[in-house]
Amino acid sequence: MAMAQQTVNTAIDSLTAALKSNIIPNQEYFLQGSILDSSVEVLLHRLRGLCDNVDTNLETFHDHEMCFSIRGPNNTQPLQLRVRRSLDHNGMPMQLRYIGQPEIGDKSRPTVLRNSIDIGTSNTVVEFLTELGCRKDFEYSAKGYMFRKGRMKITVFKVFKIDETRKMMSSGGFDALSPLTHSYLVELSVLAPSGQDAIADDMRCFAEQLRPLVQLEKIDYKRLVHGP
Amino acid sequence: MSANSTSIAMEAPVEMQIQEIAFDGQETYAPSLSMSENLTKLAQKIDFAKCGPEEVNKEITEINRNEDEAEQSTAPPIWPWDSVRNKLRNALTEVSVLADLLTIAKGKKYVVLDPVPHDPPELKPMVMVYARKKSFAGAASVLLSGAERLKNSLAEAQKNRTTTADFHIELLRLRQNFRLKKVNNTIIGDLSYFRSSGSKHIHSGTFEVTKSEEEPDKLLSPPCSPNPNSANKLTSALRVTVPGELQGIASIKVYFQKDQDSLYSSNLNTPDTAFSIPEIDWQRKLEVAQNVLFCKEMFNQLAKEAVQLQSPIPHVVVGNQIIASIFPGVQLVICLSHMEMSTDGKASLPPPIPRHDQVLEHTLHQLLRELHEKKNYPLPHPASAPLGPSRKRSCAGPYAMDREEFVEMTESQTMLEQVIQQAQHTQLRDRTLCILDKLATQYKDPLISVHWLWLNSPTYACIKVTIFAQGYDEIYRNLVIIHVYDTYLKCISRDGKVVHLSYESMELKNYILCQICRHQIMAVQYLAKSMGWQCVANSFNLGSGTLIETFGNASSCILVSPVGDRLISIHCDQNSRVQVSVAQTPRKDFFPGQLVKERKWENLGNSFKEVQWEKMIGKNFLSKMELLMTSLTSSWMQ
Repeated sequence: MAMAQQTVNTAIDSLTAALKSNIIPNQEYFLQGSILDSSVEVLLHRLRGLCDNVDTNLETFHDHEMCFSIRGPNNTQPLQLRVRRSLDHNGMPMQLRYIGQPEIGDKSRPTVLRNSIDIGTSNTVVEFLTELGCRKDFEYSAKGYMFRKGRMKITVFKVFKIDETRKMMSSGGFDALSPLTHSYLVELSVLAPSGQDAIADDMRCFAEQLRPLVQLEKIDYKRLVHGP
Repeated sequence: MSANSTSIAMEAPVEMQIQEIAFDGQETYAPSLSMSENLTKLAQKIDFAKCGPEEVNKEITEINRNEDEAEQSTAPPIWPWDSVRNKLRNALTEVSVLADLLTIAKGKKYVVLDPVPHDPPELKPMVMVYARKKSFAGAASVLLSGAERLKNSLAEAQKNRTTTADFHIELLRLRQNFRLKKVNNTIIGDLSYFRSSGSKHIHSGTFEVTKSEEEPDKLLSPPCSPNPNSANKLTSALRVTVPGELQGIASIKVYFQKDQDSLYSSNLNTPDTAFSIPEIDWQRKLEVAQNVLFCKEMFNQLAKEAVQLQSPIPHVVVGNQIIASIFPGVQLVICLSHMEMSTDGKASLPPPIPRHDQVLEHTLHQLLRELHEKKNYPLPHPASAPLGPSRKRSCAGPYAMDREEFVEMTESQTMLEQVIQQAQHTQLRDRTLCILDKLATQYKDPLISVHWLWLNSPTYACIKVTIFAQGYDEIYRNLVIIHVYDTYLKCISRDGKVVHLSYESMELKNYILCQICRHQIMAVQYLAKSMGWQCVANSFNLGSGTLIETFGNASSCILVSPVGDRLISIHCDQNSRVQVSVAQTPRKDFFPGQLVKERKWENLGNSFKEVQWEKMIGKNFLSKMELLMTSLTSSWMQ
């Protein structure tokens, strides 16, 4: 019993030590852009040339993301949590993600910075969140391609709407998806511990190389919400 | 009217039109037109097709003015617009008729429009001929100039194909395989592969591409077709300069070395003759340079591991050799042999390597490639997961792996360890093979048949050894399964006993000899059973006694005949020498003495008498035994 307590203490100690010493990646630097369907092929060729792993095939992914939110007791801002699972790799665990408010910063900061905590979970996470009291806000399906260059992850994907009426079918409604737009969303992101701002400059340099095809830039959502 | 203006009267000239001049000069004047007649005449001049509304208005005002004047004049008004009106009405009629006709013609039911043949225009043949001749001449000149240009370029290409290829086309082909970059005025290429393959060995391998103006016939360009038989006669317009440390041909040589042999003796045999590396085309040159880079990286990686690994006999890294000991007395030598070009363009041969093991070299290449691939972390699924951890590690949390599993996952063998393991297995397998072959050729009485399973791995092999007597393999067969691992053997005998043998080959010999001995006795027992004899006693581990050879074992057994009157004692030793003795009960030579009085003691049997085994008839031990048993059995029947 004492030994078990001792191991628990050391586990907590090591966790706090890890948190203090800034090795857990909990910040995400990212840039976004979009490209029309007609020009996606060109972008994919370009990315294949620029990114790592020249000799492997294009890596595709098909994910399903659900966004839950829960309100605190004092009617404060709701907490948003995202659950994402992979539809084409069934063995991989589901990911539970918390994304904080994005910091746009000023011109000196090349990318958007936001808090991001990712954790792998078992398949029961949706039940768990529902039992906690979270409500599902929305869900969507993302299908596209993934690249990497060093620490940077580049995803080019299309957002699809999930047909609610077909959800009861065995395929879960994922075979007849309708796209929301006629364009692909391009995201460039790096997960890093806080304080490593130099990676943002590398990201900006990379974004410059994609420039005439797709403009990856900081997008301020607040302005989009309050816009005309 | 302003004060300065002057009124002007406008009148037609009084002159009258001459209608006729008589022969006598008398002029007859036409009667001048009256105002209304004049107006009519003017109205008739109006071309309704041409004039626009403002002109019409102008003319109408003019006509109105005239009309007013005409009204002021005294002539009675015959309506001067009559002709105009009639003309307009006619025009309207015609236009409406035309409109009706067109609508009907559009319906195509009652009226169809057909073109009216025109009269052919007047031909002037000579003019036409001249015009056509001129236009043909113009077209022909354009075509001829185009053809001339094509012919010129084709002739040039023909000329060039046999001698030199175009610099730019060569550059294009080079760019398909290597990354090129233009820096100031020079073209620099990149030989490094760490970005594309995940290697961590950062080495800047750059090469320079230049035009070759001088000595164009020495450089070759790579063959256009992959057919190896086509002779490559093209010379190249491209010259590739590879940095000094990557020139030459490098490879990793792997071989085994016993303690007593040393390499220094082979150094003395280095021939002094040098040879020049034949000119190869730039593609192969670059590939060779990249291979040099790869071999250097592999050697660096192995040297690093050799220094870091802790082993009972430490590994030695000397110059371009890594010496690792795999068994006491046997070493694995990995050496980077780089055939460099010396300054005068001639290359010197490295010392000849004895028995270079190509399989292990291939293993090293494969291991390095695997290492590169492992460093390329797999992309995360779902896409928002973090990029770093491998698939297993990202599943570790959700699937609740315990600490042991986790630690086990992080442990992995280094390249050198893996190569040493494979080398050990190779050596052990070779030794086992040698021993079994020797034994099989040596022993003919029980035959030894060795079967190697084809399903194996670089660190595992399996052998099935069958010991049987010729002609009697249905009676009894002894089977031994030997699993060959890297540093030990696992032998499983027929009765299920598992023995682990080390890499010393004599242990295996000992074991097999014991099995042979055992086979003999067991076979005899089975044979005896089939003939009705019984085995009364047996012993399989009699040891080797005071003999000099310490391998193998002796075993023995005693058989009794079905009736019980004969005893056979068999002793089989490790050299397959058998001693067979026979005894008989009841004794023939029993005499009751002082101590032993009663008759019944004759049943104890007399002493054993040895059989002269060499004089026995029979192909092998078992057949001789069979004969012996048969002869001893039938003696009772008499």
